[in-house]
Amino acid sequence: MAFVVCGCGRNGESTRAAGPVDVVFWNGFTGPDGTTMERIVRSFNHDHPNIRVKMQIIPWATYYDKLTLGLAYGGAPDVFILHVNRFPEYAYYNSLNCTDDLVAKGGLDANDFVQVAWKAGLWHGKRYAVPLDCHPIGLYYNVDLFKKAGIVDQNGNALPPVNLAEFLQDAKKLTKDTNGDGRPDQWGFAFTWLRTNSYTFLGQFGTGLLDKDFRRADINSSQAKKAMGLMADLVTKYKVCPSPEGQDAWMGFQTGKVAMAMEGVYMLASLEDQKGLNFAGAVCPMFGKKHAVWAGSHLMVMPRSITSEKRKAAWEFITYLSDHSIEWAKGGQVPVRKSILDSAEFKKLPVQYQFSKELPYVVYEPPVVPYNQIVPFADAAFEAVLMHVKPANDALDECARRVDKVMNRQ
Amino acid sequence: MKKRNSNLTAAMFLLPYGILFTVFVLIPVFYGFFVSLHKWHILSTAPQFVGLTNYRDILSDDLFRVAFLRTAYFVVMTAPLGNMLSLLLAVGLMQDFKGTPVYKVAFYMPVVMTVSVVAVMWRWLYSTEFGMLNYYLGCFAHFGHAVVPGLVSAQSAHIPWLSNPGTAMPAIALMSIWWGAGGNMLIYLAGLKAVPRELLEAAEVDGAGPLQRFWAVTWPMLRPTTLFCMVMSVISASQVFGQTYMLTGGGPYYSTLTVVLYMYQQGFGLYQLGYASAVAYVLFVAVFMFTLLQFKLLAVKR
Repeated sequence: MAFVVCGCGRNGESTRAAGPVDVVFWNGFTGPDGTTMERIVRSFNHDHPNIRVKMQIIPWATYYDKLTLGLAYGGAPDVFILHVNRFPEYAYYNSLNCTDDLVAKGGLDANDFVQVAWKAGLWHGKRYAVPLDCHPIGLYYNVDLFKKAGIVDQNGNALPPVNLAEFLQDAKKLTKDTNGDGRPDQWGFAFTWLRTNSYTFLGQFGTGLLDKDFRRADINSSQAKKAMGLMADLVTKYKVCPSPEGQDAWMGFQTGKVAMAMEGVYMLASLEDQKGLNFAGAVCPMFGKKHAVWAGSHLMVMPRSITSEKRKAAWEFITYLSDHSIEWAKGGQVPVRKSILDSAEFKKLPVQYQFSKELPYVVYEPPVVPYNQIVPFADAAFEAVLMHVKPANDALDECARRVDKVMNRQ
Repeated sequence: MKKRNSNLTAAMFLLPYGILFTVFVLIPVFYGFFVSLHKWHILSTAPQFVGLTNYRDILSDDLFRVAFLRTAYFVVMTAPLGNMLSLLLAVGLMQDFKGTPVYKVAFYMPVVMTVSVVAVMWRWLYSTEFGMLNYYLGCFAHFGHAVVPGLVSAQSAHIPWLSNPGTAMPAIALMSIWWGAGGNMLIYLAGLKAVPRELLEAAEVDGAGPLQRFWAVTWPMLRPTTLFCMVMSVISASQVFGQTYMLTGGGPYYSTLTVVLYMYQQGFGLYQLGYASAVAYVLFVAVFMFTLLQFKLLAVKR
């Protein structure tokens, strides 16, 4: 079959001795993060005259389609970024390059990595990926609104909530109808991305989309229903959060109409650009019985078929990115190198440093091969529960049934 | 000799199209059926032959059923209403008012736009907070308040057209009707021009009013045109994809999930090529059967 043959078409071109080795690097960093990455790539190219990294930024919306076609039928890049939740699928279908030998040769010290992120690059005990970062969501809050509502510590600094009781109390104070039309126009809290917010609530109630062994759906367990019920209550019972229906919650936070939102550290740049917004970051409050917070990671990987010359150069680039992830962190990321996390330079980054305190209890999305098939069911269920399209129990049961059907087929 | 020569000429003229048709339509169609018999992840190097398993899975797939019913709902909304609008516009243009060509161009304009342009435009029209539609509804605040209490304030209405499962599909249908009406309008216009004048004049002499003339003469004479337009509308509406892909992505809660969108999601995004191909084949069979039925019901009896 055609695609079996195509994958190794580029193997023959290793004879060129002179000139730098070209390494094609794909990612989806279309925002300010792309500018940061471009800067790092430029300095790498400057330091390595024998290697030339050519970066191509493809919007995430079409990134995986293009990447997958490239891996299946030829034309794949030499280094590319995978989100941690997509990793098992590509590893399972044997599309990635095993880097155990390269790690063994040194260059990267496994002990210097945050373990949860380091382990995420393993598939059946073999290493296929190196984590570049770990990006949890955290609590962004509007300092001015907090001060105006009198939510401050003894020094007069805005005081973010740490548990459910404080959160509800603060959120009520921050929800206001300022123009007297009977509808609040300033909200204490708003849901931005339902998936990350829901995973955080679920994790704090000791559950998730799947059970602990990642075999069956747990989204309709009593704990999960409690977690989702609490989220829905923020809208209907406590009335401190607008219905996600037809709202752009993040724009609301940017423009000071929403006092708190839980978003990824990667959204930082979109706040720094906002004039007149006085904000800060804190760890997510504990809504349930334990600490937990959704996180993702960008993994650096190489395709299975790659010439040894390019493989060496690509690995050089991967280790460079990891070693210099403080630069990456400055653009709105949390690095996963302990030495960088402990550095004074990192601790000077206020929001990144606050969010990095969540690293001990971050929760990744379940590492299962058909994750991409089951997560749309979860997204639909979260939407249904919070927009009251369907009774929460029915939506979660339906989601669980669909998830189990896919999981059983594996 | 001459006969053979002209046959050859005809063949040569047909050849370019024939080659393109074979390479880009015929072969993929049959290859698609072959793919549909496999469990075929795009990255798997050895797709597994599973026979008709994919088809059996589709029949027990409740999301496919949802997609099928939502597509039917869309077809029922757009095909009849769209054709009525096209016919109405065509009849209006037949009256030869001053400036008819300008109207003709204006009504036809949406047809030449791509779906992405149309979708971006209508997303703004439908926007809950800043949309033109809600703004004008808000202008009729008193009237609006009586219809949907609580949703309409003095400045603007707050109807979440695209994020409410009840209104999303009708909103997309309305957009699609606007987008496509001009195309059938031209065909109806041609059909109307083909209605013999003397028949209409004879009816007029016999004392028939404009409505009677339309129902007794024009409408029956238009029957082949109507059949053609209906069949084509149903086929294209059954394949609705761009509108829902661009505007709602199938949501909220599957309310705008259509069969082709479902196929696309299975094939790209989930990379289940076998299953996606099987979905395509099921849709093909369904549309084919329905088209046959339409021919049976609407065709001119000879």
